[in-house]
Amino acid sequence: MLSEGAVKEINDLTGKYANKRSAVMPALFVVQREYGYVTEEGMREVANILGLRPVQIFEVATFYTMYNKKPVGKYHIQVCTNISCSLLGANHIVDFLSMRLGVKVKETTPDKMFTLSTVECLGSCGTAPMMQINDRYYEDLTKEKIEEILKGLK
Amino acid sequence: MATVKINGKEITVEDGTLILDAATSAGFEIPTMCFHARLSKLASCRVCLVEIVGQKKLQPSCVTPVMHGMEVLTESPVVKSARSAMIDLLLANHPLDCPVCDKGGECELQDITFKFGPRKSPFGEEKRRFHEEDYILSPVIIQNANRCIQCKRCVRICAETVGAEVLGSIDRGAGTGETSFVKEYLDCDHCGNCIEVCPVGSLMSRSFRYKSRPWDLKGVDTVCTYCGTGCQLTVQARNGEVLRVISKPDKGINHETLCARGRYGYSFINSHERLVTPMIRKGGTLEPATWDEALKAIKEGITGAIRNGGKIGGIASSRLSNEELYLFQRLMRVVLKTNHIDSGSRWNTGAVKTFTEVMELSRGGVSIYDALNTDTLLVIGSSISDENPVTDYMIRRLSQNKKMNIIIASPRGMKLDSSAALTLRHRPAAEGEIISGISRVLYDKNADKLNDLSGKEPLKSISKENISSLTGTDWGRIESAANFMSSSNSVTIAVGNDVLRGPSRLEFLNVLVGALRLLGKEVKLFPVFDRANQRGAWEMGVHPAMMPGYSATAGNGLGCEGILEASSRGEMDVLYVIGEDIVSDFPDGRFAEEALHRVKFLIVQDMFLTETAKMAGVVLPGASFVEKDGTFTNQEGRVQRLRRFLPPQGDAKADWEIIAAVGAAVDPSFNYGSAAGIFGEIKEAAPMYREIAFESLDGSGALIKETNRKGTDLKSVPSVASQMPAASPDPDYPFVLITGNHLYHSGRLSLRTDILRDILSEAIVEISEEDAKDLKVGKGDKVVVKGERYEATLTVHVNKRSAKGVVFIPENFTDVRVNMFFTKGEGLPRVRVLPLTGKSHGGGIK
Repeated sequence: MLSEGAVKEINDLTGKYANKRSAVMPALFVVQREYGYVTEEGMREVANILGLRPVQIFEVATFYTMYNKKPVGKYHIQVCTNISCSLLGANHIVDFLSMRLGVKVKETTPDKMFTLSTVECLGSCGTAPMMQINDRYYEDLTKEKIEEILKGLK
Repeated sequence: MATVKINGKEITVEDGTLILDAATSAGFEIPTMCFHARLSKLASCRVCLVEIVGQKKLQPSCVTPVMHGMEVLTESPVVKSARSAMIDLLLANHPLDCPVCDKGGECELQDITFKFGPRKSPFGEEKRRFHEEDYILSPVIIQNANRCIQCKRCVRICAETVGAEVLGSIDRGAGTGETSFVKEYLDCDHCGNCIEVCPVGSLMSRSFRYKSRPWDLKGVDTVCTYCGTGCQLTVQARNGEVLRVISKPDKGINHETLCARGRYGYSFINSHERLVTPMIRKGGTLEPATWDEALKAIKEGITGAIRNGGKIGGIASSRLSNEELYLFQRLMRVVLKTNHIDSGSRWNTGAVKTFTEVMELSRGGVSIYDALNTDTLLVIGSSISDENPVTDYMIRRLSQNKKMNIIIASPRGMKLDSSAALTLRHRPAAEGEIISGISRVLYDKNADKLNDLSGKEPLKSISKENISSLTGTDWGRIESAANFMSSSNSVTIAVGNDVLRGPSRLEFLNVLVGALRLLGKEVKLFPVFDRANQRGAWEMGVHPAMMPGYSATAGNGLGCEGILEASSRGEMDVLYVIGEDIVSDFPDGRFAEEALHRVKFLIVQDMFLTETAKMAGVVLPGASFVEKDGTFTNQEGRVQRLRRFLPPQGDAKADWEIIAAVGAAVDPSFNYGSAAGIFGEIKEAAPMYREIAFESLDGSGALIKETNRKGTDLKSVPSVASQMPAASPDPDYPFVLITGNHLYHSGRLSLRTDILRDILSEAIVEISEEDAKDLKVGKGDKVVVKGERYEATLTVHVNKRSAKGVVFIPENFTDVRVNMFFTKGEGLPRVRVLPLTGKSHGGGIK
């Protein structure tokens, strides 16, 4: 069940749009925040609040990679592997993270601390290679810098 | 107009015509895949690309309109190679498992690949694969998502036409597949329209799967015999067994759409329970007999009654063909010299007469497309989404492309509410009062222009408070309805058969129509019926007060209720019933049963041994709709052909043949040899049928024509008191019970089909969300519905939009005899609803 606050937040979101259906995307972020990922139950609740059919929420949730359809670790590391980042060695960044965390892409560490993902362009080509951990960008990455960052995440 | 050159051929078309349509009318074939004429345009498959001279890039012809002077090439080398490449892309992930795919032989992808596609593919990569085994999506659908080509036709028809919105495109890019929410079992209309529009074998019919190759089937284009919408459908059989029903985009007003019962309600045809021989009661039990013996018994029974001056009556189902209904009334009136005839057993005979007059049925047919080409549509007296699903689809689809204000007045909530500009939830049986309220508002606002309005005097006696309290509807909503009509140039009023269930103040419809016409509005009246040939039954004169073509009869005939009353007094000597299960349908089951017991000689003609047939002295086996020729007249007034394509089961006979044989047994000059011959006589008797040619009726049928320009006025319409239950609720019985057809069923016939029984086999009770909360029950819980004379345990369905205090139980089920709640002459029954403790159970919904 979504918390009362979350339900209120979604209801408030609908006020921002001419059409309730427009609130699906921000509402899914609320669900993701509440449950840690986009759950089936959460999608049904959003459908109910917005007066839509569950499949209409499911379509949106599965289209966008920003919605996690499975549980992720405490820190969700998303490495951009789009063209600019790749030219500047994104693949090495991914390999390094994979080696360092002991998981493959799309996997979560057994302690549920880290999930490693690769994503398309995050709009930060000027500071490539880059990654996003939860809501924060980490830019101009090097192996040393990643070591530092990981150390800070406990 | 725009003149364009297509492959060198000049053609002039309307502005805005799509290149695809222009090319088709010029005689060129452009293949399409995602395109569908009656769905929103997607243009995602790019198979219909064409070259426009002067433009660098190829354009999709399914969304590009022509421009004057445009030169289009559909067969240039660049088009051919691009088209082939597009098809190759569709095939890149398509499993090409044609030998085991149900669609093989009627697959659009197979067809266009053969005709336009590549012969070799550069794509050697592994194909996308979602799953190994096909998965069941609903009682009627099984899916193989691997074959999906992502055209979204199913998603579009589900959302735009059916309004169920249960299918979606899941994931993205090449990984997209169409499916339900987390692949869960669908809670939808089970109409199968998604299967019908699927161009490949992704969505398949569970009942037809692996049964036959399409080329091994023999079929016939005929008309659906469930509701009054009158859909064209194609019944297909192999070795005499009906295997499926399909719809065709180019046939009928329904095009590709059908509802669950139209598409899946066919297996009664081959049912083992069919009556295959006549039966005669011998010493209390019905014994099989020959036709000669049965007709001899009937002859003796009838001639005896005639000799003694006894009373003879007849009740025929409004699912018989026009020819059968006409012949039936001819037999009754001419041979048996009686006016005691009626069609169906649920309607009030007086209300029917008023209805035919105020709805101006004698003015000929109105095409549904004309009726829906309107600014405002009022739907009243019909649970249209449940009882006439395809009419609901047409309204939903057409209202999307056009500004049409839909007003729905009904006690029950329905799917179409979501397309409505305004809903008026009212007390059951208050349709007349709602209409009088709207008329009153119109009159008050335009009194100066409505001086000549006939019926304005009774209007003046109507008060806002009175109407609000009688209907339970907020006066502001009634005012809004009137305002929508005021601001429209055209108004269509669709009135369903719920207003026939008892006397109602239907004469006010005449006042409303009169007022709108005086205000310069174009008004169209559109009847909505739950039986396929209800209109035909009246037009053929199967009514005590109406001769064929709506001419008046002399003498006082009795309707169904009158016939049963006479029977209960022991006055009915002979009663001939065809296709009507009076015991199950008449709103007072106990009375009907007792009355029929006192009929001296009861003849029942039916496909099945119904409750009524079980009481008969002689039972005659009738034929199903694919076993006889004839015509049906749908609610629009469209005459469509029924075509014989299988022989009747056993010794059963077409119903018109039986009626003719019964007539000939009594009077040898009663001689009829074919349905076409009878239709010839109908053309003489009912002038509105004069221009219709039986033999040449095709997929679109023909509308009957107006023959009598004289409109009706209030003076000729009898005023009848309403059957409305008292406005102040009885604390012991706080709910009003209403009945009707469930979405998946129609009458009792559909219960004899296994697929529809798989969808829903037991009665349910539908209550409003508010009442469910008060009673602390939810969907699937069991409750006891208690009336003064009958009670039943039922599974709850919650209707979010229904009016409080209204309980709905469908008429279609044998486990609950809903007509036992009724007491003749007392209107709608009041009931109470008691939750059963020890919740949750399996229920009838699988």
